[in-house]
Amino acid sequence: MSAIYTTDEYGRPFIIVREQDKKHRKTGIEATKAHIVAAKTVSNIVRTSLGPRGLDKILISPDGDITISNDGATIMSQMAIENQIGKLLVELSKSQDDEIGDGTTGIVVLAGALLEQAEELLDRGIHPIRISDGFERACKIAVAHLDKVSDVIPWSKDDTSDLFKCAKTSLGSKIVNKCHDQFAQIAVDAILSVADLERKDVDFELIKMEGKVGGELANTSLVKGVVIDKDFSHPQMPKEIKDAKIAILTCPFEPPKPKTKHKLDITTVKEFEELQKYERDTFESMIKQVKDCGANVVACQWGFDDEANSLLLQHKLPAIRWVGGPEIELLAIATNGRIVPRFEDLSGEKLGSAGTIREMTFGTTNENMIVVEDCANSKAVTVFVRGGNKMIVDEAKRSLHDAMCVVRNLIVDNRVVYGGAAAEISCSIAVDKEADQVSSIEQYAMRSFARALDAIPMALAENSGLPPIETLSFVKSQQIKQGITSLGVDCMDTGINDMKEQFVFDPLISKRQQFLLATQLVKMILKIDDVIVHKTDDQ
Amino acid sequence: MARRGQVPMMQPQVIVLKEGTDTSQGVPQLLSNISACLAVCDTIRTTLGPRGMDKLIVDGQGRVTISNDGATIMKLLDVVQPAARTLVDIARAQDAEVGDGTTSVVLLAGELLKEVKEFVEEGVSSQVIIRGFRRAAELAIERIRQLAVSVDRTDAAEARALLEKCAATSMNSKLIGSQKEFFTKMVVDAVMRLDQDQLNEDMIGIKKIPGGAMQDSLLVDGVAFKKSFSYAGFEQQPKAFDAPRIVCLNVELELKAEKDNAEVRVDRVADYQAIVDAEWKIIFDKLDAIMATGANVVLSRLPIGDLATQYFADRNVFCAGRVSKDDLDRVCEATGCRIQSTTTDLTAAHLGTCERFEERQIGGQRFNLFRGCPEAKTCTIVLRGGAEQFIDEVERSLHDSIMVVRRAIKSHAVVAGGGAIEMELSRYLRESARRIEEKQQLVITAVAKALEVVPRQLCENAGFDTTDFITQLRARHAQDPDRFRWYGVDIEEEAVSDLFEKFVWEPALVKINAIASATEAACLVLSVDETVSSQKSQDPMAAGRPMPGR
Repeated sequence: MSAIYTTDEYGRPFIIVREQDKKHRKTGIEATKAHIVAAKTVSNIVRTSLGPRGLDKILISPDGDITISNDGATIMSQMAIENQIGKLLVELSKSQDDEIGDGTTGIVVLAGALLEQAEELLDRGIHPIRISDGFERACKIAVAHLDKVSDVIPWSKDDTSDLFKCAKTSLGSKIVNKCHDQFAQIAVDAILSVADLERKDVDFELIKMEGKVGGELANTSLVKGVVIDKDFSHPQMPKEIKDAKIAILTCPFEPPKPKTKHKLDITTVKEFEELQKYERDTFESMIKQVKDCGANVVACQWGFDDEANSLLLQHKLPAIRWVGGPEIELLAIATNGRIVPRFEDLSGEKLGSAGTIREMTFGTTNENMIVVEDCANSKAVTVFVRGGNKMIVDEAKRSLHDAMCVVRNLIVDNRVVYGGAAAEISCSIAVDKEADQVSSIEQYAMRSFARALDAIPMALAENSGLPPIETLSFVKSQQIKQGITSLGVDCMDTGINDMKEQFVFDPLISKRQQFLLATQLVKMILKIDDVIVHKTDDQ
Repeated sequence: MARRGQVPMMQPQVIVLKEGTDTSQGVPQLLSNISACLAVCDTIRTTLGPRGMDKLIVDGQGRVTISNDGATIMKLLDVVQPAARTLVDIARAQDAEVGDGTTSVVLLAGELLKEVKEFVEEGVSSQVIIRGFRRAAELAIERIRQLAVSVDRTDAAEARALLEKCAATSMNSKLIGSQKEFFTKMVVDAVMRLDQDQLNEDMIGIKKIPGGAMQDSLLVDGVAFKKSFSYAGFEQQPKAFDAPRIVCLNVELELKAEKDNAEVRVDRVADYQAIVDAEWKIIFDKLDAIMATGANVVLSRLPIGDLATQYFADRNVFCAGRVSKDDLDRVCEATGCRIQSTTTDLTAAHLGTCERFEERQIGGQRFNLFRGCPEAKTCTIVLRGGAEQFIDEVERSLHDSIMVVRRAIKSHAVVAGGGAIEMELSRYLRESARRIEEKQQLVITAVAKALEVVPRQLCENAGFDTTDFITQLRARHAQDPDRFRWYGVDIEEEAVSDLFEKFVWEPALVKINAIASATEAACLVLSVDETVSSQKSQDPMAAGRPMPGR
């Protein structure tokens, strides 16, 4: 169908819009329906990865890289969705990821459920804007209700047990739940060591994640310091240094070169010898400068050639070369050292200090890593993830990131709601109740919103192998009967429905954000009644 | 091919124009131009009003835009038909002039053409119609000026209420309609912060950060911009200052060759050191000059290299390089510093200050915030939302509102929206037309009918019974022009009511401009009776594209 089709008085079509025949247009309800179908398809894909018993997806990129993930945002972004509405959903989960870091699957499932409900309402002939108005109202009620059912969890630097439980909830659905406690503890410790509690600010740049294939998940550890994926420049250098004083250099271990283009003509043997002597002298004076200021380890952003390397060894100066920019920075922060741009500026107080620096060797492979521990400043930490294969290591990193986000969110705002879809069910009940008091058409949309909220517990139950409808109706009736809002779906089949007892917590801001974002996106999709797509040639 | 002769007899063809030139002329040409305009109007018809829908447009590069803004949609449609292009232009002109009402202006122009299409078919000279249009426009604009209600400027609270109401009306049709209380406050606050004489909207920075809900958007009473690319050492710099001393530079602080093509010839190896030292001295001189002023926040448009970053980190100074020009301009505006292109002669007098500077995490990004600026004639709106397209649309909507508020500050006259003013004008024109003896009577009546398109479309988009509402409105306005002057379509209540009391206010200027430019456009389309479009010169892109028809 062409974009704009008009005929003149003789019935001949004429062109108004550039390359009209290449454009593709959909209007009215047809367009809205097409969007809903697209969104539903996308949300159905991630639906099965919701909850502790949710399953993972395997994604193969065009170059054959394999990703296995349970994280909604990762799955969505790797799927390379073409459809416009699908892309919006991808952005939606990405936004949740950027802002909150967790709950990326839930938000897509919720948006899909809302659109599914909207479709039914459209079939009944309700104007799309009325539907979105109703959703908006319902969302307001739900968010207000979330505030009501939320609980404040106390935590302090010494008592982190509740933070730990929240991190556990987030990790519940991930592959790492084999080492559940350990990972949760790592997440909590990592965040607490870099958090600025006064400003409630957590800088993720200070947490580095290193992964290495080999070993098992249980070997994952938190290093209060820095791990550098490098080894000492010479194999004969000592493998462990105690009470290290580190010189952090950003200049190469070679005679200084001007940045301006330069040229040196060598015409005689004597001149050549002079040059050689000069080079050696410079090396020696550099090493002397390093030694004089008291350093016993050198970390260098650039490299040095074999000659310098052996000179360093002769002078018993272990050195690490080709350390990347971010690592240099992290190292400087961790050891309270200063980055030194040239040898002349080296002085005692600019050195970083660390308790130990040691080279770690893994298994039978000849791979080494340098671990800098017991640093002067514990603000920089590194999580060192181990796992059987690359996919697991990557997924473990992602899961840990999610868990750390949860902890971060709780530091910013320590209110929680109960997981296991308890909050959703309770909001659904609240919205349903309010809907009865609305006199206009929005009533229908509000009820649909409540039903869409039910989709989350249903998906949870389904993924956990429980009968979805039975479970939902049981929990719902119990919530109403007992008036306890913390009852949820018992995914782990422990026989306890009260999520308070199971310690399944979600940060309030994460849930709130899910509701708001999903509703706003659905509103946007419902508001579109006209799609003009410029077809590419291959279509 | 020359002109297609409609003469029945075969005559030798005289070739006047180059082969391939397309010409069309006369009444049929006029009519096809009108149909082209109507087709374009139909596309954006449904975006009008609070229940208007959005359009999703994907362009050739696969960029997606979702919008409700008439001017944006018209631009993205990429209209090539010359007559229809005029509609695109008026939408753009309206956008530039008043910023709002872009959909209504296109709609109105289209409707004017539609109403007189019959006349053209019946052979009325287009000059007569044009004169009629002009007369009607004059009458209408005069009437708006009479009716417009001026709000007392002296009372600050009143004036603010007026601005908020105008902003709210312009937001009604947009995605942010449901959050309008929140956003109107933000928009009005933002505009009030500007220099009230200049009202330069460039001084309102809009930053978009995906993530967060719309309600998480915030207004910073100063400047905010995204952390620029930083080098190693940046994290060791302090990230918060009270009363910082800010220096803005246009200087590259990097160790590099002073001249790109310079070459140094070294005779002896020992000379190496001398040259290197000279190079270091150049940059250290610059850095020392900056430090000598006592600055502790250094911003530069050009890169600040790793050496300088570490130098500043050593001295507890914050620095950011590659700050974009408009951000830096706003920093200057807010803190009172001046951008310096050299570090020589830098004195403490060139520094600016504010209450607090800090780097903060907003969403997934880190932001530099300068707050509590002493002479803040600038502010920054940080927008949040679920998807990029979503934030883009919010930005466009806010832009419209900002423009409306700006207009309203300048002229305090307002009229009621929701089709009320159009109905009143329609009634007035109909009445005036009866006293005119010439053919123009018909044309002015046609204009009167065309004006009804706004309330009609509002009803249609909302799914109301259009005929019912229009007849009701017509009756009300005829019964008692004074009492029912501001009756229009009340979408909320699904009824006909006094919209002035419901605070659906729009600056009178928006309406005046809309009517004037819609009439101009319609006149322009009517006055063209021939299109001569020369064939595109061998454009490889155009190969195979069908010839533009008449």
